[in-house]
Amino acid sequence: MAERFAVLPCNGLDKAVGPLAREIALMVVEACQGELICPVLYNNLPAHYAKALELPLIVVDGCGTRCASKLATEHDLKVRRKLQATDAFKEMGESRGEGLTPDPERLALCRLLAERLLSAPDEGTALGSEAAFAEPVEYATVTHDKFIFRIPMKGYLFDENHCWAHIAGNRARVGIADYMQQELGDLTFCELPQIGAEVEQFGEIGSVESVKAVSDIISPVSGRVVAANAAVVEAPEIINEDPYVKGWVAEVELRDLASDRDLLLDGEAYLALVRQKAAEYRP
Amino acid sequence: MAESANSRVLVIPCSGIGKVHGLMAREATYRVVDELEPQASGTLCLALLVKGDEEAVEAVRTQPCITIDGCPKLCSYKNVQLAGGTIAESVRVVDAFKGRKGAQPGTATELEQDGWTITEEIAQQLAARVRELRGGEEQ
Repeated sequence: MAERFAVLPCNGLDKAVGPLAREIALMVVEACQGELICPVLYNNLPAHYAKALELPLIVVDGCGTRCASKLATEHDLKVRRKLQATDAFKEMGESRGEGLTPDPERLALCRLLAERLLSAPDEGTALGSEAAFAEPVEYATVTHDKFIFRIPMKGYLFDENHCWAHIAGNRARVGIADYMQQELGDLTFCELPQIGAEVEQFGEIGSVESVKAVSDIISPVSGRVVAANAAVVEAPEIINEDPYVKGWVAEVELRDLASDRDLLLDGEAYLALVRQKAAEYRP
Repeated sequence: MAESANSRVLVIPCSGIGKVHGLMAREATYRVVDELEPQASGTLCLALLVKGDEEAVEAVRTQPCITIDGCPKLCSYKNVQLAGGTIAESVRVVDAFKGRKGAQPGTATELEQDGWTITEEIAQQLAARVRELRGGEEQ
Protein backbone atom coordinates (compact mmCIF):
# COMPACT_ATOMS: atom_id res chain seq x y z
CA MET A 1 0.00 0.00 0.00
CA ALA A 2 1.16 3.53 -0.75
CA GLU A 3 2.60 5.58 2.08
CA ARG A 4 -0.04 7.57 3.95
CA PHE A 5 0.21 11.34 4.10
CA ALA A 6 -1.46 14.23 5.81
CA VAL A 7 -2.41 16.80 3.20
CA LEU A 8 -2.65 20.49 3.97
CA PRO A 9 -4.22 22.35 1.06
CA CYS A 10 -4.91 26.04 0.79
CA ASN A 11 -8.50 27.14 1.15
CA GLY A 12 -8.97 26.59 -2.57
CA LEU A 13 -11.54 29.22 -3.40
CA ASP A 14 -11.98 32.56 -5.08
CA LYS A 15 -9.72 32.01 -8.08
CA ALA A 16 -9.88 29.33 -10.77
CA VAL A 17 -6.70 27.75 -9.51
CA GLY A 18 -7.96 27.36 -5.93
CA PRO A 19 -10.48 24.62 -6.68
CA LEU A 20 -7.78 22.83 -8.69
CA ALA A 21 -5.53 22.77 -5.62
CA ARG A 22 -8.41 21.46 -3.59
CA GLU A 23 -9.14 18.69 -6.10
CA ILE A 24 -5.47 17.65 -6.15
CA ALA A 25 -5.44 17.51 -2.35
CA LEU A 26 -8.60 15.41 -2.22
CA MET A 27 -7.27 13.03 -4.86
CA VAL A 28 -4.02 12.56 -2.95
CA VAL A 29 -5.89 11.84 0.28
CA GLU A 30 -8.19 9.39 -1.47
CA ALA A 31 -5.32 7.58 -3.19
CA CYS A 32 -3.17 7.15 -0.08
CA GLN A 33 -6.02 6.88 2.46
CA GLY A 34 -4.47 9.88 4.13
CA GLU A 35 -5.72 12.64 6.38
CA LEU A 36 -7.00 15.96 5.11
CA ILE A 37 -6.28 19.08 7.12
CA CYS A 38 -8.68 22.00 6.83
CA PRO A 39 -6.36 25.04 6.69
CA VAL A 40 -8.71 27.46 8.39
CA LEU A 41 -9.66 25.09 11.17
CA TYR A 42 -6.00 24.17 11.62
CA ASN A 43 -5.15 27.86 11.90
CA ASN A 44 -7.81 28.32 14.57
CA LEU A 45 -7.48 25.01 16.37
CA PRO A 46 -4.16 23.26 15.63
CA ALA A 47 -4.64 20.64 18.35
CA HIS A 48 -7.53 19.25 16.35
CA TYR A 49 -5.04 17.83 13.85
CA ALA A 50 -2.28 16.70 16.20
CA LYS A 51 -2.89 13.04 15.39
CA ALA A 52 -3.16 13.59 11.63
CA LEU A 53 0.12 15.50 11.61
CA GLU A 54 1.98 12.48 12.88
CA LEU A 55 1.87 11.45 9.22
CA PRO A 56 4.36 12.93 6.72
CA LEU A 57 2.97 16.15 5.31
CA ILE A 58 2.14 17.24 1.77
CA VAL A 59 1.28 20.90 1.20
CA VAL A 60 -0.82 21.95 -1.80
CA ASP A 61 -1.13 25.62 -2.71
CA GLY A 62 -3.29 27.16 -5.38
CA CYS A 63 -2.24 30.72 -6.09
CA GLY A 64 0.97 32.60 -5.48
CA THR A 65 -0.12 33.72 -2.04
CA ARG A 66 0.76 30.20 -0.88
CA CYS A 67 -1.47 30.27 2.18
CA ALA A 68 -0.92 26.59 2.95
CA SER A 69 2.87 26.92 2.81
CA LYS A 70 2.76 29.99 5.01
CA LEU A 71 0.58 28.17 7.49
CA ALA A 72 2.98 25.24 7.56
CA THR A 73 5.92 27.57 8.13
CA GLU A 74 4.16 29.50 10.88
CA HIS A 75 3.38 26.29 12.71
CA ASP A 76 6.85 24.92 12.12
CA LEU A 77 5.55 21.88 10.27
CA LYS A 78 8.01 19.69 8.44
CA VAL A 79 6.89 19.52 4.81
CA ARG A 80 7.72 16.30 3.03
CA ARG A 81 6.38 17.31 -0.38
CA LYS A 82 4.65 20.32 -1.87
CA LEU A 83 2.92 21.49 -4.99
CA GLN A 84 1.63 24.82 -6.23
CA ALA A 85 -1.17 24.41 -8.74
CA THR A 86 -0.42 27.64 -10.64
CA ASP A 87 3.15 26.58 -11.34
CA ALA A 88 2.23 22.97 -12.01
CA PHE A 89 -0.30 23.89 -14.69
CA LYS A 90 2.10 26.41 -16.19
CA GLU A 91 4.85 23.81 -16.39
CA MET A 92 2.50 21.40 -18.14
CA GLY A 93 1.61 24.16 -20.59
CA GLU A 94 -2.02 23.79 -19.59
CA SER A 95 -4.61 26.44 -18.87
CA ARG A 96 -6.03 26.62 -15.37
CA GLY A 97 -9.45 27.21 -16.90
CA GLU A 98 -11.97 29.76 -15.79
CA GLY A 99 -14.67 29.78 -13.17
CA LEU A 100 -14.71 28.03 -9.86
CA THR A 101 -15.82 24.60 -11.02
CA PRO A 102 -13.08 22.59 -12.78
CA ASP A 103 -14.09 20.96 -16.06
CA PRO A 104 -13.37 17.26 -16.80
CA GLU A 105 -10.16 18.09 -18.65
CA ARG A 106 -8.86 20.08 -15.69
CA LEU A 107 -9.90 17.29 -13.31
CA ALA A 108 -7.93 14.77 -15.36
CA LEU A 109 -4.86 16.98 -15.08
CA CYS A 110 -5.43 17.28 -11.35
CA ARG A 111 -5.44 13.49 -11.11
CA LEU A 112 -2.16 13.35 -13.01
CA LEU A 113 -0.60 15.89 -10.67
CA ALA A 114 -1.89 14.01 -7.62
CA GLU A 115 -0.28 10.81 -8.90
CA ARG A 116 2.97 12.64 -9.55
CA LEU A 117 2.90 14.15 -6.10
CA LEU A 118 2.53 10.74 -4.49
CA SER A 119 5.47 9.35 -6.44
CA ALA A 120 7.67 12.47 -6.24
CA PRO A 121 10.90 12.61 -4.29
CA ASP A 122 10.71 14.41 -0.98
CA GLU A 123 11.45 18.10 -0.63
CA GLY A 124 14.92 18.87 0.55
CA THR A 125 16.21 15.35 0.11
CA ALA A 126 19.28 14.71 -1.93
CA LEU A 127 18.24 11.25 -3.05
CA GLY A 128 21.25 9.61 -1.55
CA SER A 129 23.66 12.01 -3.20
CA GLU A 130 24.48 14.04 -0.10
CA ALA A 131 27.97 12.64 0.10
CA ALA A 132 28.63 13.48 -3.54
CA PHE A 133 27.98 17.13 -2.79
CA ALA A 134 30.56 17.30 -0.05
CA GLU A 135 31.60 20.75 1.02
CA PRO A 136 34.19 22.33 -1.28
CA VAL A 137 37.59 22.41 0.26
CA GLU A 138 39.16 25.20 -1.66
CA TYR A 139 37.84 28.74 -1.98
CA ALA A 140 39.55 31.56 -3.78
CA THR A 141 38.67 35.05 -2.62
CA VAL A 142 38.42 38.45 -4.22
CA THR A 143 38.58 41.39 -1.86
CA HIS A 144 37.18 44.81 -2.61
CA ASP A 145 37.00 47.40 0.17
CA LYS A 146 35.32 45.61 3.05
CA PHE A 147 33.79 42.97 0.78
CA ILE A 148 35.22 39.51 0.33
CA PHE A 149 33.80 37.35 -2.43
CA ARG A 150 34.38 33.60 -2.25
CA ILE A 151 34.64 31.29 -5.24
CA PRO A 152 34.90 27.49 -4.97
CA MET A 153 37.60 26.41 -7.39
CA LYS A 154 36.78 22.74 -7.96
CA GLY A 155 33.61 20.93 -8.91
CA TYR A 156 31.59 24.06 -9.67
CA LEU A 157 30.61 25.66 -12.96
CA PHE A 158 29.30 29.21 -13.22
CA ASP A 159 27.38 31.36 -15.61
CA GLU A 160 27.72 35.08 -16.08
CA ASN A 161 24.50 35.61 -14.10
CA HIS A 162 26.44 34.57 -10.98
CA CYS A 163 24.64 31.29 -10.61
CA TRP A 164 26.48 28.05 -10.07
CA ALA A 165 26.10 24.33 -10.74
CA HIS A 166 27.92 21.88 -8.48
CA ILE A 167 28.42 18.75 -10.54
CA ALA A 168 28.37 15.23 -9.05
CA GLY A 169 27.96 12.37 -11.49
CA ASN A 170 24.84 12.88 -13.56
CA ARG A 171 23.44 15.47 -11.16
CA ALA A 172 24.08 19.06 -10.28
CA ARG A 173 23.00 21.27 -7.47
CA VAL A 174 22.23 24.82 -8.48
CA GLY A 175 22.40 28.03 -6.49
CA ILE A 176 23.54 31.63 -6.51
CA ALA A 177 27.11 32.76 -6.07
CA ASP A 178 28.55 34.67 -3.16
CA TYR A 179 28.88 37.78 -5.33
CA MET A 180 25.17 37.73 -6.16
CA GLN A 181 24.00 37.17 -2.60
CA GLN A 182 26.12 40.06 -1.39
CA GLU A 183 24.87 42.27 -4.20
CA LEU A 184 21.26 41.45 -3.28
CA GLY A 185 21.78 41.83 0.45
CA ASP A 186 19.67 40.11 3.10
CA LEU A 187 17.36 37.66 1.39
CA THR A 188 13.76 37.55 2.50
CA PHE A 189 12.20 35.06 0.12
CA CYS A 190 13.22 32.15 -2.06
CA GLU A 191 11.00 30.40 -4.56
CA LEU A 192 11.87 26.84 -5.55
CA PRO A 193 11.15 25.02 -8.80
CA GLN A 194 8.61 22.25 -9.04
CA ILE A 195 10.00 18.76 -8.58
CA GLY A 196 9.91 17.01 -11.96
CA ALA A 197 10.06 20.23 -13.96
CA GLU A 198 12.28 20.28 -17.02
CA VAL A 199 14.67 23.21 -17.11
CA GLU A 200 16.69 24.52 -20.03
CA GLN A 201 20.21 25.85 -19.72
CA PHE A 202 19.94 29.48 -18.62
CA GLY A 203 16.26 28.95 -17.86
CA GLU A 204 14.68 30.16 -14.65
CA ILE A 205 14.87 27.66 -11.82
CA GLY A 206 13.60 29.81 -8.99
CA SER A 207 13.88 33.29 -7.62
CA VAL A 208 15.20 35.14 -4.64
CA GLU A 209 14.01 38.37 -3.14
CA SER A 210 15.85 40.72 -0.86
CA VAL A 211 15.13 44.08 0.64
CA LYS A 212 16.74 45.55 -2.47
CA ALA A 213 15.49 43.51 -5.41
CA VAL A 214 13.95 40.37 -6.82
CA SER A 215 16.16 38.20 -8.99
CA ASP A 216 15.57 35.06 -11.01
CA ILE A 217 17.85 32.14 -10.33
CA ILE A 218 19.22 30.99 -13.66
CA SER A 219 20.10 27.34 -14.10
CA PRO A 220 23.55 26.95 -15.65
CA VAL A 221 22.58 23.42 -16.72
CA SER A 222 19.68 21.72 -18.46
CA GLY A 223 17.81 18.75 -17.04
CA ARG A 224 15.01 17.65 -14.76
CA VAL A 225 14.55 18.98 -11.26
CA VAL A 226 14.77 16.05 -8.86
CA ALA A 227 15.01 17.84 -5.53
CA ALA A 228 14.57 21.28 -4.07
CA ASN A 229 15.94 22.68 -0.86
CA ALA A 230 12.95 23.45 1.35
CA ALA A 231 15.28 24.78 4.04
CA VAL A 232 16.03 27.94 2.06
CA VAL A 233 12.34 28.72 1.73
CA GLU A 234 11.88 28.65 5.46
CA ALA A 235 15.17 30.42 6.11
CA PRO A 236 16.43 32.32 3.02
CA GLU A 237 19.31 33.69 5.07
CA ILE A 238 20.98 30.30 4.67
CA ILE A 239 21.83 31.44 1.14
CA ASN A 240 23.48 34.56 2.53
CA GLU A 241 25.39 32.57 5.09
CA ASP A 242 26.48 29.60 2.98
CA PRO A 243 25.64 30.17 -0.69
CA TYR A 244 27.64 27.28 -2.13
CA VAL A 245 26.75 24.40 0.18
CA LYS A 246 23.75 24.68 2.49
CA GLY A 247 22.26 27.40 0.30
CA TRP A 248 21.68 25.21 -2.73
CA VAL A 249 18.30 25.76 -4.37
CA ALA A 250 17.59 22.82 -6.65
CA GLU A 251 19.09 19.55 -7.73
CA VAL A 252 18.96 18.71 -11.43
CA GLU A 253 19.39 15.43 -13.23
CA LEU A 254 21.67 16.50 -16.06
CA ARG A 255 20.50 16.22 -19.65
CA ASP A 256 23.55 17.28 -21.67
CA LEU A 257 26.38 18.49 -19.51
CA ALA A 258 28.89 18.20 -22.33
CA SER A 259 27.03 20.83 -24.36
CA ASP A 260 26.09 22.94 -21.37
CA ARG A 261 29.70 23.09 -20.25
CA ASP A 262 30.72 24.89 -23.46
CA LEU A 263 28.88 28.00 -22.31
CA LEU A 264 29.96 27.94 -18.65
CA LEU A 265 32.91 29.20 -16.67
CA ASP A 266 35.11 27.05 -14.47
CA GLY A 267 36.45 28.35 -11.17
CA GLU A 268 39.43 30.12 -12.71
CA ALA A 269 37.39 31.87 -15.39
CA TYR A 270 34.70 32.87 -12.90
CA LEU A 271 37.36 34.18 -10.53
CA ALA A 272 38.55 36.48 -13.31
CA LEU A 273 34.99 37.66 -13.90
CA VAL A 274 34.44 38.41 -10.22
CA ARG A 275 37.72 40.33 -10.07
CA GLN A 276 36.52 42.48 -12.95
CA LYS A 277 33.06 42.94 -11.38
CA ALA A 278 34.49 43.66 -7.97
CA ALA A 279 36.50 46.52 -9.37
CA GLU A 280 33.23 48.10 -10.47
CA TYR A 281 31.31 46.99 -7.35
CA ARG A 282 29.07 49.61 -5.73
CA PRO A 283 27.03 48.00 -2.95
CA MET B 1 -25.33 47.33 -16.14
CA ALA B 2 -22.06 45.90 -14.98
CA GLU B 3 -21.44 45.98 -11.26
CA SER B 4 -18.15 47.02 -9.80
CA ALA B 5 -16.54 44.25 -7.77
CA ASN B 6 -16.54 46.25 -4.56
CA SER B 7 -20.30 46.79 -4.56
CA ARG B 8 -21.07 43.09 -4.45
CA VAL B 9 -22.30 41.09 -1.50
CA LEU B 10 -19.58 38.70 -0.42
CA VAL B 11 -20.68 35.11 0.16
CA ILE B 12 -17.92 33.54 2.20
CA PRO B 13 -17.99 29.81 2.88
CA CYS B 14 -15.81 28.04 5.36
CA SER B 15 -12.91 26.15 3.88
CA GLY B 16 -15.30 23.32 3.13
CA ILE B 17 -12.67 20.65 3.18
CA GLY B 18 -12.94 17.33 4.87
CA LYS B 19 -16.65 17.17 5.66
CA VAL B 20 -19.75 16.89 3.55
CA HIS B 21 -21.36 19.91 5.20
CA GLY B 22 -18.33 21.99 4.23
CA LEU B 23 -18.61 20.77 0.66
CA MET B 24 -22.28 21.82 0.65
CA ALA B 25 -21.34 25.30 1.90
CA ARG B 26 -18.82 25.60 -0.90
CA GLU B 27 -21.16 24.27 -3.61
CA ALA B 28 -23.97 26.57 -2.46
CA THR B 29 -21.57 29.49 -2.72
CA TYR B 30 -20.52 28.51 -6.23
CA ARG B 31 -24.16 28.26 -7.25
CA VAL B 32 -24.87 31.78 -6.02
CA VAL B 33 -21.79 33.59 -7.30
CA ASP B 34 -21.51 31.70 -10.60
CA GLU B 35 -25.15 31.27 -11.55
CA LEU B 36 -27.89 32.76 -9.38
CA GLU B 37 -26.46 36.22 -8.62
CA PRO B 38 -23.22 36.56 -10.56
CA GLN B 39 -23.46 40.33 -10.86
CA ALA B 40 -24.56 41.04 -7.32
CA SER B 41 -22.34 38.64 -5.41
CA GLY B 42 -18.78 37.50 -5.16
CA THR B 43 -16.76 35.27 -2.91
CA LEU B 44 -13.52 35.48 -1.05
CA CYS B 45 -10.96 32.91 -0.02
CA LEU B 46 -11.19 32.55 3.74
CA ALA B 47 -7.53 31.56 4.04
CA LEU B 48 -6.50 34.92 2.60
CA LEU B 49 -8.49 36.62 5.31
CA VAL B 50 -7.04 34.39 7.99
CA LYS B 51 -3.53 35.17 6.77
CA GLY B 52 -4.27 38.89 6.98
CA ASP B 53 -4.26 39.68 3.27
CA GLU B 54 -4.90 43.43 3.13
CA GLU B 55 -7.24 43.35 0.15
CA ALA B 56 -9.30 40.58 1.74
CA VAL B 57 -9.56 42.43 5.04
CA GLU B 58 -10.55 45.63 3.25
CA ALA B 59 -13.18 43.74 1.24
CA VAL B 60 -14.96 42.24 4.25
CA ARG B 61 -14.91 45.58 6.03
CA THR B 62 -16.42 47.53 3.16
CA GLN B 63 -18.78 45.03 1.54
CA PRO B 64 -21.75 43.28 3.13
CA CYS B 65 -20.87 39.67 3.94
CA ILE B 66 -22.90 36.50 4.20
CA THR B 67 -20.96 33.78 5.95
CA ILE B 68 -21.86 30.16 5.39
CA ASP B 69 -20.43 27.46 7.59
CA GLY B 70 -20.61 23.72 7.24
CA CYS B 71 -20.16 22.72 10.82
CA PRO B 72 -20.84 24.37 14.18
CA LYS B 73 -17.21 25.44 14.52
CA LEU B 74 -18.24 28.46 12.41
CA CYS B 75 -14.83 29.12 10.91
CA SER B 76 -16.17 31.54 8.33
CA TYR B 77 -18.32 33.54 10.74
CA LYS B 78 -15.60 33.75 13.38
CA ASN B 79 -12.81 34.75 11.03
CA VAL B 80 -14.85 37.36 9.18
CA GLN B 81 -15.91 38.78 12.53
CA LEU B 82 -12.32 38.73 13.77
CA ALA B 83 -11.22 40.66 10.68
CA GLY B 84 -13.78 43.36 11.45
CA GLY B 85 -16.09 42.31 8.63
CA THR B 86 -19.65 43.45 8.15
CA ILE B 87 -21.69 40.28 8.60
CA ALA B 88 -25.19 40.75 7.28
CA GLU B 89 -26.16 37.11 7.59
CA SER B 90 -24.69 33.94 8.99
CA VAL B 91 -25.90 30.62 7.58
CA ARG B 92 -25.14 27.14 8.93
CA VAL B 93 -25.51 24.13 6.67
CA VAL B 94 -26.28 21.88 9.63
CA ASP B 95 -29.43 23.90 10.29
CA ALA B 96 -30.79 22.89 6.89
CA PHE B 97 -30.78 19.27 8.04
CA LYS B 98 -33.27 19.94 10.80
CA GLY B 99 -36.45 18.03 10.10
CA ARG B 100 -34.69 15.88 7.49
CA LYS B 101 -33.90 12.83 9.49
CA GLY B 102 -32.17 10.19 7.44
CA ALA B 103 -31.01 12.51 4.67
CA GLN B 104 -27.91 11.15 2.93
CA PRO B 105 -25.99 14.15 1.63
CA GLY B 106 -22.95 12.22 0.36
CA THR B 107 -19.32 12.43 1.33
CA ALA B 108 -16.68 15.10 1.79
CA THR B 109 -15.75 14.71 -1.86
CA GLU B 110 -19.05 14.02 -3.59
CA LEU B 111 -22.64 15.00 -2.95
CA GLU B 112 -25.53 12.62 -3.46
CA GLN B 113 -29.07 13.57 -4.44
CA ASP B 114 -30.09 14.64 -0.92
CA GLY B 115 -26.96 16.71 -0.66
CA TRP B 116 -27.57 18.50 -3.95
CA THR B 117 -31.23 19.12 -3.05
CA ILE B 118 -30.39 20.72 0.28
CA THR B 119 -27.50 22.63 -1.27
CA GLU B 120 -29.85 24.10 -3.85
CA GLU B 121 -32.25 25.21 -1.11
CA ILE B 122 -29.40 26.87 0.75
CA ALA B 123 -28.23 28.54 -2.45
CA GLN B 124 -31.71 29.93 -3.10
CA GLN B 125 -31.82 31.22 0.48
CA LEU B 126 -28.44 32.89 0.02
CA ALA B 127 -29.43 34.39 -3.33
CA ALA B 128 -32.62 35.81 -1.83
CA ARG B 129 -30.60 37.41 0.94
CA VAL B 130 -28.17 38.85 -1.60
CA ARG B 131 -31.11 40.46 -3.41
CA GLU B 132 -32.47 41.83 -0.14
CA LEU B 133 -29.14 43.34 0.71
CA ARG B 134 -29.00 44.92 -2.70
CA GLY B 135 -32.37 46.52 -2.06
CA GLY B 136 -34.48 44.04 -3.96
CA GLU B 137 -32.77 44.55 -7.29
CA GLU B 138 -33.60 41.92 -9.89
CA GLN B 139 -30.82 40.43 -11.99
